Amino acid sequence: MGLDVLGVSKTFDTRKGRVAALRDVSLRVGRGRFVSLIGPTGCGKSTLLRIVAGLVEADGGTVSIFGEPPERATAAKHVGFVPQSPALLPWRTVLDNVRVPFQVNRKADSVLGRRFRDPVEVLESFGLGDVLHSRPDQLSGGMQQKVAIARAFVFDPSILLMDEPFSALDELTRERQRHELLDIWQSDQKTVLFVTHSVPEAVALSDAVVVMSAQPGRVRAVIPVNLPRPRGELVEATDVFHDLERRVRSELRVAWNDNHA
Amino acid sequence: MHEETATETSALVDATDQSSEEHRLVEEDVSHGLHYWIHPRVWLPPLVAFGLLALGWQLYAVHNRFIIPTVPQILTQLVDHPGLFWRNLLVTLQEAVVGASIGMLAAFVLAMGMCQVRLVERALMPLAVMINVTPIIAIAPVLVLAFGFGMTPKYIVTAVIVFFPFLINSLTGLKSSDPQAHDVFTTLHASKWEILVRLRLPSSLPFLFAAARICMPLSVVGAVVAEYVAPGKASGLGSLIETAMSLSDLKTVYASVLVLALLGIGLSAVVVVLQRRLLGWHQTAVLRRP
Repeated sequence: MGLDVLGVSKTFDTRKGRVAALRDVSLRVGRGRFVSLIGPTGCGKSTLLRIVAGLVEADGGTVSIFGEPPERATAAKHVGFVPQSPALLPWRTVLDNVRVPFQVNRKADSVLGRRFRDPVEVLESFGLGDVLHSRPDQLSGGMQQKVAIARAFVFDPSILLMDEPFSALDELTRERQRHELLDIWQSDQKTVLFVTHSVPEAVALSDAVVVMSAQPGRVRAVIPVNLPRPRGELVEATDVFHDLERRVRSELRVAWNDNHA
Repeated sequence: MHEETATETSALVDATDQSSEEHRLVEEDVSHGLHYWIHPRVWLPPLVAFGLLALGWQLYAVHNRFIIPTVPQILTQLVDHPGLFWRNLLVTLQEAVVGASIGMLAAFVLAMGMCQVRLVERALMPLAVMINVTPIIAIAPVLVLAFGFGMTPKYIVTAVIVFFPFLINSLTGLKSSDPQAHDVFTTLHASKWEILVRLRLPSSLPFLFAAARICMPLSVVGAVVAEYVAPGKASGLGSLIETAMSLSDLKTVYASVLVLALLGIGLSAVVVVLQRRLLGWHQTAVLRRP
């Protein structure tokens, strides 16, 4: 059980005609696994994530999140979504932003055995205990993104979907953020599908890296990452890490050449 | 040697830190509290501008006594008949505020409907444009015919005049919410109503206040136009101007215009104060350092 994507296709009608965003894409993320999607621009990795999140409907194929289609999974609040920008509500404090999941779709919360986190506790474990009552615009970009991740963690969804959450941050902040995310993930091993542009980010975080190629978007290779966990920052200095990086890069190169041949 | 440079640099860093801290403190200090207005840099520029205008007016008026009254004449008129202007001011104020409130509320409700159901927008937007392009001065007499000389036609004219600008701004505001925040709400399976109340409505507030700043003074224009066409019981500053005009009483005409101007400024100021109170999170609400 986990996330199962089977033969998913999607075409968009644009002014230039029909564009095949995804063709026959299949992948699986086992329970408690961290899987990254990486690929050149236009390979449909964000579209795939949005299909899993129930934000876009696929033309064909099936998506099953712990046995449920995306629609039912979101209706039951089983899906945590972290968008590219933090997308916090500027009129609310940090704490009130993290409370949003409790305030909408209350119907889903009446299910027995549902486990919620205390928003204050979550924010404190994210190192945001000092800014509970600050407004988002008083926080740095990195901290805002952590609040957005906390907002997705707080209602304990079965799967976390992250759409390039660190892409707007500078390189140093980005590196720190990914190791903080690793620490958070380590403590409760959520099932995660993570879209990224960054090779080291994908390798450092994941159990498997899915390399996609574009036009039409499809899975080009799945590279398992067998680095031991928990992974500290030093893991990025090891030879195994660099080998894996090289493998991902060479697959990406092939994927890129596919499009431009 | 090296160490020395290092300390120097860190001292420099400290200094900048401190000054930015101070800067922020001043800004916070300024955005709350009335003593903002004590600062000459705040009140002096508009005062000088008004002074120059009065001076120019006076110079022109002295040489053209039969076309416009002088500044002292206008002010004397105000001081000599405070009750007259005050009474009429209250009537116009009531028309403007009640009419504008009705118009803005109706526009906002319609905007909510339009943003929830696309079909409503398609169906009713052309109608709203039609109301907007109809010269209000042309339909005002018809309204008087239909509703008599009381307050009703005046409320209608005022409401109509603010309706369209408020509708467009509300609609833009309601649609301005962050699409990625929208995605987050959708993946939580928030209902359309929850998204409206918790995301769209607060996002629209800066637009609503911007619209109110346009609409409140505009409502004064609406009220005056309505009074002009339908003097009713000869009350309101518009009626006063009309009557004074027919008697060639220019002092009363210009004194009324001055009172109207002050009314418009007052109404704008009320909106600005409310905006600062309710919209602390938005950049438009922050006062700049004097």
